[in-house]
Amino acid sequence: MTERAEIQMELPKSRLSFLETLRVGSSGLRTRRLRSALSALGITIGIAALISVLGLSASGSADLIKELDALGTNLLTIEAGQGFGAGPVSLPDDAPAMIRRISPVYEVATVSKVPGGVYRNDLIADGRTRGITIVASGLNLIDAQQGSLKAGVFLSQVTSQFPAVVLGAVAAERLGIRDLSIGHQLWLGERWFTVIGILNPLLLAADLDRAAIIGYGAAEKFLDHDVDADVIYVRAFPEHILDVRSVMAATVNPESPEEVQVSRASDVLEARVAATSTFTNLFVGLGAVALLVGGIGIANVMVIAVIERRNEIGLRRALGATRFHIATQFLSESLLLSGIGGVAGILMGILVTAIYAISQDWSLVIPGLAVVGGMVSSVLIGGVAGFYPALRAANMSPTEALRTG
Amino acid sequence: MSSLASDSPYAVELNQVSKIYPGTPPVEALSEVSISVPRGELLGIVGASGSGKSTLLHLVGTLTRPTAGSVFIDGLDTSGLSDGALSGIRSRNVGFVFQDFFLLPGVTATENVGNGLLYSGTPGRERKRRAEAMLERVGLSHRLAHLPNEMSGGEQQRVAIARALVHDPSFILADEPTGNLDSQNTASLMELMVSLNHDGATVILITHDPEVAEMCARQITLKDGRIEFDSSTVPGNAHD
Repeated sequence: MTERAEIQMELPKSRLSFLETLRVGSSGLRTRRLRSALSALGITIGIAALISVLGLSASGSADLIKELDALGTNLLTIEAGQGFGAGPVSLPDDAPAMIRRISPVYEVATVSKVPGGVYRNDLIADGRTRGITIVASGLNLIDAQQGSLKAGVFLSQVTSQFPAVVLGAVAAERLGIRDLSIGHQLWLGERWFTVIGILNPLLLAADLDRAAIIGYGAAEKFLDHDVDADVIYVRAFPEHILDVRSVMAATVNPESPEEVQVSRASDVLEARVAATSTFTNLFVGLGAVALLVGGIGIANVMVIAVIERRNEIGLRRALGATRFHIATQFLSESLLLSGIGGVAGILMGILVTAIYAISQDWSLVIPGLAVVGGMVSSVLIGGVAGFYPALRAANMSPTEALRTG
Repeated sequence: MSSLASDSPYAVELNQVSKIYPGTPPVEALSEVSISVPRGELLGIVGASGSGKSTLLHLVGTLTRPTAGSVFIDGLDTSGLSDGALSGIRSRNVGFVFQDFFLLPGVTATENVGNGLLYSGTPGRERKRRAEAMLERVGLSHRLAHLPNEMSGGEQQRVAIARALVHDPSFILADEPTGNLDSQNTASLMELMVSLNHDGATVILITHDPEVAEMCARQITLKDGRIEFDSSTVPGNAHD
């Protein structure tokens, strides 16, 4: 037996280089273009779905984080919380003054909720308020919120004494007021007010988007409202914001700090980012299912190819191909299919993300991990899908494979 | 190219070869057949279907192993060789021609012929050069870039013969090469075979057509897995 082994060592071997194997595999795909394209499409769709979902969520949250950074994470909102007793709890009258004494605080804006509704005219029944509330505010509210105006002006020293109103973005939309080219009058329960400005959406205080904002003077004079601060917006230097927050409740109401509710607006937005990532997970799951189906499609095509190309397998065996050569040929076909599908999917996913990001005015973020993961998973799928067909082709007996009919 | 021991005067030798296919009852396709094919011979093997021709072809081509006896290729006993070693022998010492041509669709004549050199590790450029030269030899220099479905049956079979010869094998093994051709193409193909044989190629041709067999210098008739007639054993009719 050792003698025979020696003879085998000396025998010329069949050889096929790695590159030639790839060439043979790709020629198998090239002669069946349509079928190859269709079977790679499944992987393309799966990878494109994964890349675009991850890309969109990354671009979206990058955008949100950018906005957050622009708006600042140093805004605290102070409201009256739930008391132990019955009856509503309110903030102490001297709360704003007390807060101003905390040294890192540089801006304190107060808002007072005014009962009543906002109507297009005086004929609309009471109560049909469209969810729009009236708030009275100081002049620095827009600075504290780092808000901006879509049209008109904010309240000034003068207009805050007069029946003038600035609408939040949502409030303006609900009332059907898009610009101030014609003078709009609104009925605020007791008398007419003139719209002087429309705000852009305030990301850190969505409540104010649904509000009609009037001056303190006007609230006292025309709506007979006692202006106590219901909500206080505080800006402090960012490096001290946590310290400020920790002393806030006790500063506002030293007697019963538990009745004061302090929140950081940016926390809410961060929670929103986290919430959208839950949806992202769902879509990634769907993409993974698409990928799995694509892999099954490739496996199916490869199994059919092995049956259909039985004669080719026999011919190649007769030409000197070893079992290994046959196996690697079919495996490389499968890997090429899924690899091409994967690359096409990555490009398509990037394209979809880019188009959507541009349409939303976001900056484009493609997570590198998603691209690498997409490529690796498509190649893995190709390997798994091609493994059994390749083994089957390799184990076919040459004489059986050469049989015709 | 071939690094097998080639001091043997025989391209192929079968020594008491039997092939039994298992089953109930087992089928004995070949029983104790001995044939020696000297280099340069044009051998025609004739027989009705079921006579064991195909089994003989598969055994000589090392595509299957005998149940008993041994097959020598270029003087080397192939019994007990691994599947990989047999593949290596096929890639260098054997040239197959099939009844159904088995050209790869969607691939040019040159590339199809070049595939005859693929598994011996010949680089692409040399494959192309030798394939073109061989296509010229079989009279198809005007069909180099044609696809199989653009050629006639006779032309396709010539491409297949070029593929079988391109790696300079010890012998060509042709299985009913004229089975799918009309009489005119059959005649010109046999002319090519005879001319290739004159140039030194050893050809083993399996056919059921007595007219084709008659064009071969030596004829063997198989019947029920045994040699019924061998023209080389008839006195005065021996090949030279």
